[in-house]
Amino acid sequence: MKYRNLILKNIFRNKARSSLAMIGIAIGIATILGLGLLTDGLSTSTEQALTAGAADFSVVSASSNGQGGGPGGFGGSQQLINETTVNKIAQISGVESVAGILRSSISDDSTNSTNNTDQQPSSSNSGQPSMTMPATVLGMDSKNLEMYDVKVTNGSTYSSANEVIIGKTAAESQNKTIGDTVTISNETFKIVGIYETGETMQDNGIIMSLSTLQNLTNNTGKVSSVLVKTADSSIANKTADTIESTYSDLSTSTSLSGIDRMNSGMDIIKSAVWGISILAIFIGGIIVVITMIKSVSERTREIGVLKAVGWTKKWVMVMIIGESLILALIASIVGILVGVGVVEILSLSNMLQFIQPTYSLTLFIKALGIGLLMGVIGGLYPAYRASRLAPTEALRYE
Amino acid sequence: MNKNIIEIKNLIKLYDDGNTIALDNLNLEIKKGEFISIIGPSGSGKSTLLNMLGALDQADEGSINVAGYDLMEKKDFSHFRSKEIGFIFQLHNLIPNLTVSENVQIPMIHTYISDEDMVKRANNILESLNLSSKINQFPTKLSGGERQRVAIARALVNHPSIILADEPTGALDSKTGDVILDVLKKIHKAENVTLILVTHETYVADMADRTIEVRDGQITNSK
Ligand SMILES: Nc1ncnc2c1ncn2[C@@H]1O[C@H](COP(=O)(O)OP(=O)(O)OP(=O)(O)O)[C@@H](O)[C@H]1O
Ligand SMILES: [Mg+2]
Repeated sequence: MKYRNLILKNIFRNKARSSLAMIGIAIGIATILGLGLLTDGLSTSTEQALTAGAADFSVVSASSNGQGGGPGGFGGSQQLINETTVNKIAQISGVESVAGILRSSISDDSTNSTNNTDQQPSSSNSGQPSMTMPATVLGMDSKNLEMYDVKVTNGSTYSSANEVIIGKTAAESQNKTIGDTVTISNETFKIVGIYETGETMQDNGIIMSLSTLQNLTNNTGKVSSVLVKTADSSIANKTADTIESTYSDLSTSTSLSGIDRMNSGMDIIKSAVWGISILAIFIGGIIVVITMIKSVSERTREIGVLKAVGWTKKWVMVMIIGESLILALIASIVGILVGVGVVEILSLSNMLQFIQPTYSLTLFIKALGIGLLMGVIGGLYPAYRASRLAPTEALRYE
Repeated sequence: MNKNIIEIKNLIKLYDDGNTIALDNLNLEIKKGEFISIIGPSGSGKSTLLNMLGALDQADEGSINVAGYDLMEKKDFSHFRSKEIGFIFQLHNLIPNLTVSENVQIPMIHTYISDEDMVKRANNILESLNLSSKINQFPTKLSGGERQRVAIARALVNHPSIILADEPTGALDSKTGDVILDVLKKIHKAENVTLILVTHETYVADMADRTIEVRDGQITNSK
């Protein structure tokens, strides 16, 4: 009979107790793995949502008092940025793409609609009824919409100078839909699509191509802010600093970036998961220790016999550790299967709508490793106790 | 004349921090191949003596030499036990979840015997003890006498030079006990093994070449 067969036989000797121990460990491993799958899934899906195309930060003129500026008519308080600067920013290392945006606000009353850029006085537009409510008109190239987190949910994006898209909120409040027209500063535009950004405020507006708005507001070659997307969002802050130090007249705002907020949110989730995992490991480890101590004390006589027939302390110890290791191995495999099963059932039943579990080899190896470690460490003390049993005591034991 | 395989001089074994003197300046010499019976009242130190001989425990003072090993040395004597000693206890102490054959193989695990040879050797010994039909049985299915014969097989499987049997028939009825004694006598003759047998029965003790009487941790009579 081989040594390993003896170890295997010993594990399945007290089936009830071994099963109980295995269930305990398996639940721990399933918890660790399941939570790992979900948090990994959560962080990748959030990252994708936030970083797929969105810019990491925006650049505005240092002297302007914030985006959007004050309402027109009071003189321009917002300094605009030349598009040449936009091109220079694009050259800075770490910058993946840039998008110039011109922002214009429309103040409105029921009869008159006045469209002002933040720089242009509104006089030229007064007296013309145009449209009600939409608070902002944005000009940007349609290829850059993604950087602003704009999704065209209905229709298509603008492809010519007389086409615009309207935000969902604006469309609802204005009762506008695709095919309707809007008049801004005496110009009539055709609505070709409806967009959403996920933020109600942002959805209360109209977006057209940059050059159209530049022409409309006499701001050719100017933008009010530059969206910057870095090659890797982790260098966003560094890149923003570089821009600020290179151009003293520009300031950057990372408020656009959801990365930081997401990261701190993920940190909280991850530390919660870590805490739960530690608890699971601890409980699993205790279960192994209790099971093996119970098993050793039940077999005190037997261990005495093993020593009497010439087994060394080491072989007794290896036997007990081997038993707990194999116990933990089987339990870990069961736990991994259960963990994957539960997560799959949850995601198939649509209970985790936003989280797509992410399977990675590292996570499985980690779960298995933790399980095996539980077996070895949990078996260590019982094994030590068994190896130290004096054979005479063991044989006297009743 | 045969050489001494066991030499004990002034051996002292204390228990309970010295409050119990289990062996009190005990002296004993046993020749290779002798069949010795040990008798004496309960608590006199018979089992303690056997434990010292088998290096299951260590003495406090004196000297004890068994099969060339100085058992007063502070070291692990598992190799000595594996090679030189075969224990038979009052209780068979078989492992219940292992078959008869596997129980007999236990002492061979960790020796350099191949798996095949282990099985062969175990089954040969079991056969010689009339247990060939029980090889794949579990010990719980056996009678008391059969179990004790399996325990004898386990003690013999590594070809020890000394068999230490502590009341091997104590838990058996006299008829079954006699069968066990016959087996032990046969083995003693056939293998020229040194047999040391603790017993309460004088008729059993009389089967031996020599009977030693232990009282209060000392040998009071040897004939
Ligand atoms: N582990 C121990 N701890 C304390 N005292 C012990 C221990 N082992 C034996 N003794 C004591 O040593 C003495 C000798 O015991 P031992 O078991 O050798 O007697 P014995 O002759 O085998 O008796 P019995 O015929 O009842 O088996 C007794 O007084 C016993 O109580
Ligand atoms: Mg005794």
